[in-house]
Amino acid sequence: MRKYFLFLGIAFFLVTSMTMVPTVEGADFSGKTIKWIIPFNVGGGSDVWARLYSPFLQKYLPGNPIVVVKNMPGGGSIIGGNYFHVRAKPNGLTVFGSSGSTSFPYLLENPKVKYDFAKYQIVFATPVGGVCYINPELGVKSVKDLKGFKKPLQYASQGATSLDIIPLLAFEMLGLDVKAVFGYKGRGPGRVAFEQGEVNIDYQTTPAYIKNVRPLIKQGKAAPLMSWGALDANGNIVRDPVEPDLPSMPEAYEMLYGKKPSGPGFNAWKAFFVAGFGMQKAMWLPEKTSKDIVATYRDAAAKVIADAEFKEVVKKSLGGYPQLAGKDAVVGFQQVLDVPKKDRGWLINWIETKYKVKIR
Amino acid sequence: MDVVLQSLAVVLQPSHLLMLICGVVMGLSIGILPGLGGIVGMTILLPVIYGMDPHSAFGLLIGMVAVIPTSDTFPSVMMGIPGSSASQATIMDGYPLAKKGEAARALGAAFTASLIGGLFGALVLTLIIPIARPIVLAFGSPELFMLALLGMSMVGVLSGNKPIKGILAAGIGVMIGALGDAPAVPEYRYTFGIDYLIDGVPLVVVGLGLFAFPEIVDLLIKGRSIAEAATLGKGWLDGVKDALKHKFIVLRCSVIGVIVGFLPGLGGSVVDWIAYGHIIQTTRDRGKFGQGDIRGVIAPESANNAKEGGGLIPTFLFGIPGSGSMAVFLGGLLILGIQPGPGMVTENIDLIYTAIWSLALANVFGAILSIALSKPITRLTVIPFSYLAPFMVLIITFACYQATRSWGDLIALLLMGILGWVMKQYGWPRPAALIGFVLSDNLETYLFISVQRYGFEWLTRTGVIVLAAIIIGSLVMGIFYQARKSSKARASGERNGK
Repeated sequence: MRKYFLFLGIAFFLVTSMTMVPTVEGADFSGKTIKWIIPFNVGGGSDVWARLYSPFLQKYLPGNPIVVVKNMPGGGSIIGGNYFHVRAKPNGLTVFGSSGSTSFPYLLENPKVKYDFAKYQIVFATPVGGVCYINPELGVKSVKDLKGFKKPLQYASQGATSLDIIPLLAFEMLGLDVKAVFGYKGRGPGRVAFEQGEVNIDYQTTPAYIKNVRPLIKQGKAAPLMSWGALDANGNIVRDPVEPDLPSMPEAYEMLYGKKPSGPGFNAWKAFFVAGFGMQKAMWLPEKTSKDIVATYRDAAAKVIADAEFKEVVKKSLGGYPQLAGKDAVVGFQQVLDVPKKDRGWLINWIETKYKVKIR
Repeated sequence: MDVVLQSLAVVLQPSHLLMLICGVVMGLSIGILPGLGGIVGMTILLPVIYGMDPHSAFGLLIGMVAVIPTSDTFPSVMMGIPGSSASQATIMDGYPLAKKGEAARALGAAFTASLIGGLFGALVLTLIIPIARPIVLAFGSPELFMLALLGMSMVGVLSGNKPIKGILAAGIGVMIGALGDAPAVPEYRYTFGIDYLIDGVPLVVVGLGLFAFPEIVDLLIKGRSIAEAATLGKGWLDGVKDALKHKFIVLRCSVIGVIVGFLPGLGGSVVDWIAYGHIIQTTRDRGKFGQGDIRGVIAPESANNAKEGGGLIPTFLFGIPGSGSMAVFLGGLLILGIQPGPGMVTENIDLIYTAIWSLALANVFGAILSIALSKPITRLTVIPFSYLAPFMVLIITFACYQATRSWGDLIALLLMGILGWVMKQYGWPRPAALIGFVLSDNLETYLFISVQRYGFEWLTRTGVIVLAAIIIGSLVMGIFYQARKSSKARASGERNGK
């Protein structure tokens, strides 16, 4: 009788445990080396991101494989992306780390791009925020003051097809007369240009904003206007948790025009916002990777994100935003993939006519 | 002041000192290998520093980067091959000295100059931290464009008696620099559909192609050893004395080094040329330059070590790197959880002083170790070159391949090498081409920004006018001396004509 109960107990345990963790089995990476392709140079934002993640992935992937960051810079990340597309085998041993600079040429249908995010499996994603600020000498203290504001503004830009699409299109939607000055090598030089008075409107990603712009605000040399926003779990753009007192870009639009933003311009802006900020950096598995391997990776990523020590890393070095693993990442990136072709076409057309560049 | 001494105590702890020495040894090795410089060193060390405490990590990284411009003198002097982009100008006079059998003297002078320059850089860094922000902010895009022009004006000096050839050579350099993606518009120039050309030709490839390749070919043709004299002449102690005798040159060029390192966006790879050009411009008896004048070694070597101290300033205070290696160092800061910015002066001042002490100590260790090494290494110059050549070809090929790790690097090296050899044969100044190449991006970007932003008004800015006056003054001075020199008896050899 007792044996019978024991048997029942064991059977029950086996059945429940199998239903509870249905697919995280099979994939085991003992003794393997995983190559994580980063299409940027050592020391860049994406490289730092991957190096911060990799020891934790190493800890939580079954079999504790060695995770090696392989930098493959060139062509603004297109070369590394194309390499991944052509060469990566679906065995879970080659993964790819994308950034906004990788997603943008893809969305803009750059003819050099061979990679296709629609075919890959996303593992996890890291968001970042951006805060826009202005020179207070112009008489602007907050977004409200922008109503009917017609003075010419200058913005230090890296290029019309770079991440600067987000600020430039936002300025356009808000009806600001902003001249983009092209040729700056990134946000750092852009901020210095703002401090020099070479330009008078700028944005910084949140970590740089906290360390470099907040002191300027305290001295009265900068006035924060808005954040681009942050994605909530349902894919809506809400206020950035780093600056909860500032309106997000869609809110700012509403404050100025009394209605919610809509139309092809906003649809395109939102897709690019998700690709450039809401899910700026993401890890990908190649096409045709088995469900087992995908689930194993997503499970490991979820464990990394829950790790107390890693949470500290996120707070200190990754901007402090909640990291998105598995389903959250899939749902989030779907917004990038779902943007209608005509809205994308509208944006490409807008860049080509406004900035007189040829994209396609 | 307390913080300064506290940081010294931290730096002198055995664990930190060990890291520093590891960094120094690694930096010396990277410097000796031609073509490998600070960027490669930083790239190798970055994965190691994960989880390290920031003070030890600083010892390692800064120890490494501080001494590269010390040991990169070895290949520049002894083989005429730039050890890294910071010591290309050292070749001009260092290599002729080696040919005369005075390699030890050149090295001794170079290491002493490096040491003083490095210490001076650390000192300036200490003094300037509180007032650095306004100075950096005074240099907008128009001023940076003028500085790039100032660099270009050295071309005239470096092209000796044939200014037309110098200008044309610089033009070739600018054109090579324009290959690939344009700095301000989303366009690719002359890539012919070749992926390798998207990012342009790497500096390492151009530098080694123009300088190392022709040297190897010519030495093989002659079939001799590098030193033409059978015996090694004066020793390193004479070199030390030379450097001390020209202490004002050392100090002046250290100032140039700090300033060039300090200004973000100018790029450290021209500092040696600017120092070298400056010393020629301001010297009366300049007939011997290019044929083994010890001052031509001292000037660039003091400037390139001082540069590292200057380069840390924009990196720490603005989060914008002053050079390629500082860009990687910036990533290192982020890995350590440090976000650079103006707050560093208040929140992380201890780290800044750790960096400064590490810089100073590394320069001392680096110079001592290099002097100790110089005696055995100079013997390489008496070995018949046919034994050395295969090894040298291997090393420069390897170094070039590190640039982007694609076949394109090797093909580009061959093409640049042929160009360099042809230029050398026909007496076209290769330094001018290199300066054009290095500055092309700056010239274009800052001019483009200035005109977009200010129209023609940028020409009326005070900084622009001051810099324009300096450029014109130095050109006039150059022409004046040149005229006086040629009115005297014509010098037998031609500078750079070799």
